[in-house]
Amino acid sequence: MTFKKTLLASVIGAAVVGTTMLPMTASAETLRIGYSADPETLDIHEQLSGGMLRLSHLAFDPLVRWTKDFQFEPRLATEWEQVDETTTRMTLREGVTFHSGNEFTAKDVVWTIERLKESPDYRAIFEPVASAAAVDDYTVEITTTEPYPLLLNLATYIFPMDSEFYTGETEDGNEKAEIVKAGNSFASRNVSGTGPFIVTDRRQGVRVDFERFEDYWDTESEGNVSKIVLTPIAENASRVAALLSGGVDFIDAVPPNDLDRVREADNASLVEVDGTRIIGFQMNEERVEAFQDARVRQAVDLAINQEGIADRLMRGFATPAGQFSPEGYSGHNPDLVPRYDVERAKALMAEAGYEEGFSVDMIAPNNRYVNDAQIAQAVANMLAQININVNLRTMPLAQYWPEYDTRESDMAMIGWHADTEDTANFFQYLSFCIDEETGVGQYNYGSYCNEEIDALVTAADSETDLEKRNEMLSEAEAMLYEDVGYITLHWQNLAYGAANGIEIEPVVNALDFPYLGDLVINR
Amino acid sequence: MIAFLIKRLMHAVLVMFVISVLAFAIQDNLGDPVQQMVGQSVPESEREAIRERLGLNDSFLVQYVRFAKNAVQGDFGDSYFYREPALEVIARHLPATLELVFAATLIIVIFSVPIGVYSAIKPRSPLSRLFMGASIIGISIPVFLTAILLIQIFSIGITITLFPESTSWGAWLNGLLSTEGNMPSFGRGYNLVHVVGHWDTNLATWNGLQHLVLPAVSLASIMLPLFIRLIRAEMMEVLQSEYVKYARAKGISMRRVYFVHALKNTMLPVITVGGVQIGTMVAYTILTETVFQWPGMGLMFLDAINRADIPLIVTYLMIVGVIFVVTNTIVDLIYGFVNPTVKLTGKPA
Amino acid sequence: MTTPTTTTAPSRWERLRDSYLWYSFKRDRTAQLCFAVFICLVIAAFSAPLLAPTNPYDLAQIDIMSSELPPFWVEGADERFGLGTDAQGRDLLSIILYGTRVSLLIGFGAVILQALLGVTFGLMAGYLGGRVDAFLMRLADIQLSFSTLMVAIVVGAVVKATMGSAFYSQYAVLMLVLIIGLAEWPQYARTVRASVLAEKNKEYVDAARVMGLRSKRIMFRHVLPNTMSPIFVISTVQIANAIISEAALSFLGLGMPETHPSLGSLIKAGFDYIQSGSWWITLIPGAVLIVLVLSINLLGDWLRDVMNPRLYKG
Repeated sequence: MTFKKTLLASVIGAAVVGTTMLPMTASAETLRIGYSADPETLDIHEQLSGGMLRLSHLAFDPLVRWTKDFQFEPRLATEWEQVDETTTRMTLREGVTFHSGNEFTAKDVVWTIERLKESPDYRAIFEPVASAAAVDDYTVEITTTEPYPLLLNLATYIFPMDSEFYTGETEDGNEKAEIVKAGNSFASRNVSGTGPFIVTDRRQGVRVDFERFEDYWDTESEGNVSKIVLTPIAENASRVAALLSGGVDFIDAVPPNDLDRVREADNASLVEVDGTRIIGFQMNEERVEAFQDARVRQAVDLAINQEGIADRLMRGFATPAGQFSPEGYSGHNPDLVPRYDVERAKALMAEAGYEEGFSVDMIAPNNRYVNDAQIAQAVANMLAQININVNLRTMPLAQYWPEYDTRESDMAMIGWHADTEDTANFFQYLSFCIDEETGVGQYNYGSYCNEEIDALVTAADSETDLEKRNEMLSEAEAMLYEDVGYITLHWQNLAYGAANGIEIEPVVNALDFPYLGDLVINR
Repeated sequence: MIAFLIKRLMHAVLVMFVISVLAFAIQDNLGDPVQQMVGQSVPESEREAIRERLGLNDSFLVQYVRFAKNAVQGDFGDSYFYREPALEVIARHLPATLELVFAATLIIVIFSVPIGVYSAIKPRSPLSRLFMGASIIGISIPVFLTAILLIQIFSIGITITLFPESTSWGAWLNGLLSTEGNMPSFGRGYNLVHVVGHWDTNLATWNGLQHLVLPAVSLASIMLPLFIRLIRAEMMEVLQSEYVKYARAKGISMRRVYFVHALKNTMLPVITVGGVQIGTMVAYTILTETVFQWPGMGLMFLDAINRADIPLIVTYLMIVGVIFVVTNTIVDLIYGFVNPTVKLTGKPA
Repeated sequence: MTTPTTTTAPSRWERLRDSYLWYSFKRDRTAQLCFAVFICLVIAAFSAPLLAPTNPYDLAQIDIMSSELPPFWVEGADERFGLGTDAQGRDLLSIILYGTRVSLLIGFGAVILQALLGVTFGLMAGYLGGRVDAFLMRLADIQLSFSTLMVAIVVGAVVKATMGSAFYSQYAVLMLVLIIGLAEWPQYARTVRASVLAEKNKEYVDAARVMGLRSKRIMFRHVLPNTMSPIFVISTVQIANAIISEAALSFLGLGMPETHPSLGSLIKAGFDYIQSGSWWITLIPGAVLIVLVLSINLLGDWLRDVMNPRLYKG
């Protein structure tokens, strides 16, 4: 065998040495992207996902967008003011045209908001919006049902669509505007936005081609990318290999195990951004009586070494968390940090009468979050320290969510990113008392219920004084920290890899949709 | 001959039917495809509506009959993930797998015939023993481990510091045993040349070939030893036969005896085994493609299982079933062609 | 299988000692070495609870802070962990010992099941002939045309589907025995059938039939013992194959869970870390798997040569 391999080694070795690798150069203005996923469709309202939001920022422009430090930057809306408690007036940018050549006006904004309210994926988020009305061609008024402090957060999701282009019927008699989930609608195949790039070709799962929109309104942008080729490369290792071999210029989601490789590569660099997706566990109080005892929940939290997981399993690629909201979010409370202490955990278990421990079932996905299965296993190991015997099952995503929905295990892993980039969203989905009617607590696996916290967050959500709101949410975080309604592990970081000369640093952000329209390439 | 083909056709239909029923029976437990089509904050009622629209709530029988009706017309349904006809998705992944299998087959043929024949002719020579030893080691290494080893050696590289680096012979030995490791170990590369339809080839560029080498070698590594041993065994048998002895006695050159007369008769059983092994090869492509992230049908199938992409899974299994039947039929036909004493009848072959 | 040379009824041991099997074993260094290696591995695996420095199933002993430590000969090693640790901080030596036990259990279990099914069906097909034969061999043909792995993947999915994944992970060893056992019975059935067909028309069977023995009795008491030698030979190969099949399934994530890993799941778990330089998590269990399978295969090779000298004519 040694012989066989050595023989091969010399044959292949000779072949490699004999011919130098062909350098793969691209013209300066073409950007070849290797993303972990491509957009599922071209209809930006069909699905709310990272891939779709990235597409939205390429082919469309939002009314406002987030800056790196979570401030709002004017895009298609240039100014905004609160007219009364429930009404916000926005002034729109003039001289903007869609890819189709149609001119962008207030009617497109109104049309888009109405469509958002029809979209299965966005309907819930746009629930607070009552209506939108065009005051004149460049002024629009958005009314909410109740005082709502997060209207600008919502505005980051409003990517005005070309209402004229999307109105009417197709040849086979379907509405052009209809939203068909996983179907074959007009909007899922055709695009007209105001964004910096036009979709020129798209093959699902294979590649998407973009070209820069010549009449793009933002002439001040220094972005010089004239063509984009987006290839989805789902497998982590191959994505990294593609970057390092020069096959692509820019990749997302560099896995923790490959951070060093990209960091040390001669032809590429690594850009890390602190993420906002919280990863953690929920304890099922319906099934395990012990979890109804706050001391047991605290003990579980104390037994878990968040720093260890972030440091070892994630290789520093995660920020250990003691609360939902990451730094930068209103409501983030700097005092709430992980409090690993096995001795105290043991004492609490004893105090609660569970010194002997108990057994629980735990479920976790194995292809959703970075190193999810390994993290779950590590947590299981840690809980053994306080005599909680964990029976862990990990499964692919397709099987995980149905399993999760049945709530038939004792502990479950879940990660959450707040669609509104706001603290209240975490509470509403993950820790609110479950209410089938309003839909809050939809992902509260453990049926945890603390009405005091709920009331505080609900009050904060109609508090338009942002300073005050911040304090209220911060208080809610502290209460949840004390009561351990959710076990926070860490915020998963984001890491991008870019070939030399691709100045990606200024255009990436914690939201994971790089503003590629502003990307500068300097080869 | 006609009866034989009809029989085989029925066989193929039966296989497809059994697979489709089986695959349908297991689909519910593979997971819920709807969950992946919607954002996380979408309420259950919306999901239910989509499930209803896709017909996932109908009874097993209703779903199966609907599927079968369309399948007869060549429509196997749309993949949930790719949102296009499952057949189309498979057609797109097929060339990658076929090229891999082709390259592996090429390696097997090139190496197994000379080595097998040599070790049959000179069974006691040290080289033959070496080949035999290496082949049993080859059989004992699972294909995914071969792949991992190849990646470690040729792609990541190994640094040996076993010998004293300060001495010149030590440094030389260390250098000899260490490897650079620059071979691409993932995917097909980005210099594919478009041929026709869905077929982009790895075979036309140097970069493409480089990407093909490691996966093809791993895939071949499991079959090569089997074939070497098989050819050797058959050849040794043939060399004992009367007509070879007679040919030898007649003074026909040894080379001619070995490579024309003996080899021809050796190949018969080899072809049969080869046909059966093609089926095995398809399964091994799943492993090889997983390790090397080779974007072929095997990788697609595993992804489909993880995504609960039921139409794609069903279609894949049916197509693979048909491929098995077809290759077996072809092998039998070739067998009959090479050896006319075998009659092709409607009897089970 | 044995050739008694003495006329007095010899004890089993004497029969073995005088057999050709033993004679050739004494003369074959490779066979001896392989046997020794194999026995060592089996003993080590099954006394894992005694030998292993830690108990990898006792989660409380595992510390994430000692994860990914290299084996002793590499810089940065920790003396507590001779072969290093995996990504969770488990002692690699211990987990390999336990993992080998799992692999061997599944390998042997699956082969026993295969043999039971295959021998029964093979005997039936060969001895009864006719429709039974046609049906069973047709079934075997179809199944053989799919590879074991394909069948195992499908059977695995069906089993998981009908039993539920909770049940599956609880009885994973049993399930894998079942899956691999079901997937490879045709190998036995074909061999046994062929032997039976060869034996069927021999005089002793006719004699037994004339004596009025029932066919079940003839099959199991008279024909079967005479087909033992090929069964024995393929069993060794099949054990090696079953171990590889299990490893492959686990490598694809369809086999043993990582909390109770077999060698295959250890290799899979380590594969994620190979690119970042932690090669030992994958390559050490890989080496153990290779040595195990190789020793079985070499023993099988030797057995085949001894028991079936047909191939040795050259």
